[in-house]
Amino acid sequence: MSLLALSDVSKRFGGVNALADVSFAVEPGDVLGIIGPNGAGKTTLLNCISGLYHLDRGDIRWESASIRGLAPHRIARLGIGRTFQIVRPFPSMTVRENTAMGALFGRPGARLQPGAALSEADTVLDLVGLGEKRHYPVLRLTVPDRKRLEVARALAMRPRLLLLDEVMAGLNQVEIEQALEMVRRVRDSGVTIVLIEHVMKVIVGVCKRALVLNFGRILVEGPPADVLKDRRVIEAYLGQRYAREQERKET
Amino acid sequence: MIAREDRLPPRLRRSIFAVTMVALAYVILAPLTSIDAAQQAGLPLLTDKVWFRIVTTVLMFVVLASAWNIVGGLTGYASFGNIAFFGLGAYTVGALVANRGWPFGLALLVAPIVPALFALVIGLPLLRLRGHYFAVATLGVGVATGEVVNNVGPLGASTGLFLPIVRSDLLFFYLMLAAAGLAVLTTWVILRTRFGYGLLAIRENEEAAAVIGVNTNFYKVAAFCIAAALSGIAGGIFAQWNSFINQELVFAVSDNVQMILMAVLGGAGTALGPVAGAVVLELIIQTLAGGGSGSVYSQIGLGILLAVCVIFIPRGVIDFFGGRSKLSLRYFRQTLRETSA
Repeated sequence: MSLLALSDVSKRFGGVNALADVSFAVEPGDVLGIIGPNGAGKTTLLNCISGLYHLDRGDIRWESASIRGLAPHRIARLGIGRTFQIVRPFPSMTVRENTAMGALFGRPGARLQPGAALSEADTVLDLVGLGEKRHYPVLRLTVPDRKRLEVARALAMRPRLLLLDEVMAGLNQVEIEQALEMVRRVRDSGVTIVLIEHVMKVIVGVCKRALVLNFGRILVEGPPADVLKDRRVIEAYLGQRYAREQERKET
Repeated sequence: MIAREDRLPPRLRRSIFAVTMVALAYVILAPLTSIDAAQQAGLPLLTDKVWFRIVTTVLMFVVLASAWNIVGGLTGYASFGNIAFFGLGAYTVGALVANRGWPFGLALLVAPIVPALFALVIGLPLLRLRGHYFAVATLGVGVATGEVVNNVGPLGASTGLFLPIVRSDLLFFYLMLAAAGLAVLTTWVILRTRFGYGLLAIRENEEAAAVIGVNTNFYKVAAFCIAAALSGIAGGIFAQWNSFINQELVFAVSDNVQMILMAVLGGAGTALGPVAGAVVLELIIQTLAGGGSGSVYSQIGLGILLAVCVIFIPRGVIDFFGGRSKLSLRYFRQTLRETSA
């Protein structure tokens, strides 16, 4: 049984079809990459899964039950953690406190007390490589570190599925390598991952499958290497002319 | 984890603790010198009618500012309608005592319940709004509630309600002191529990709070109800203390503004900030508002003071003790940069 299954998910903003009949499934242990040009509906898709947006049509199932219409906090406690593309830390708190919030509220079962949540945060911070900066106020963190903190806060919830929204955007080559390493560690700890990414190196480097969105529709789905070679994908990103030229060169 | 006060150096903490304890002991014990037995034993009289009037008023504002702080300071929803909770508490006691002949003590037990239920009903729709929209909507509710009460015959309409006079400065002083203690204790406890962290998360980023599992609607409404209950207690005590209530007295928007100023001036989001703000501001108001042309100047002075505070000490007076605020030119220049758009 799939961990997460979307069927015919549609979402409109006024006259814009942000998502149109999107269907796919995520199996346990998957690392699914979602790519697509700006405005393709990638973040809208994550917002629909995490309950921040209501679907206009379609259904989202978590294991066997529908999670359509559930409040975001309920979806979170089912075991779906997420990060935001534009980071959203709690600015008055330290790195450690920020992370502890995930453990304090996001656990499905027994409630942790603040003290236990803090020690839980320490474990997670070591995993994402922020251990030494745990007592920093968030505002002193660099951009890559703030992205790591987003991941740490989501991981502290002990999610079974982690939705990552462009955690590598804006990072340099070295930082991308470090972030990739972090994603692999998370994957190896048994968390299923869906990640949105523009950096192709990440898609090829860590994803088992890739899915391309364009104008709210799924264009192609398959192994990352095949998807990136697909003519429709090149068209969507770089235009028809470029795609034709590429084809001419190859033949 | 939010033990911000713990950042104080131990020596400073000890001296602040000592000063607070002495002040508290004075406030608790001084009124006792007005008892006949104490007078016969030859103790000096430390209090008079004016003392009771001022200190009880200060304590009332400690309750109101602390209650506002739970919604405005901890949760980040600036409510301009908290005065409705105070007014409803006052009218609950007023109606039960004046119209139904209930004993005051029994009526006071109901005083927090009515505003809390009201907060539950209006909180569900209002707390979906944010920022200015929430402020304006609550302002509307506050004013409207007063107007409605002003037109209900059994509640005395525009004449107001007269309660049988209870002459005991001591009773109302200690009741208000207990209410203030309850309000501060409630805030202190909230700040140290899961519930409090949830409120802070909502204040700092509501969507982030929701996706890590904070039941934002429940938390916001619960905070609103707690604030309403506390304000209602203060209103209930006020009704009997003043033995007369009408719309102008207990639904004054200016009082709502005052409780906000107190919380912000003292340090919104902390347990003791609103207390410091209420004491400082109410004493300034009482000192300056001598009447005549003096009160006009006091209003101007108050306005200037508040503008200066909001610009230069946005974290409140309490933050100078162990927080990031410092009494230095460099810090003030830095906050000026931070607070200007």
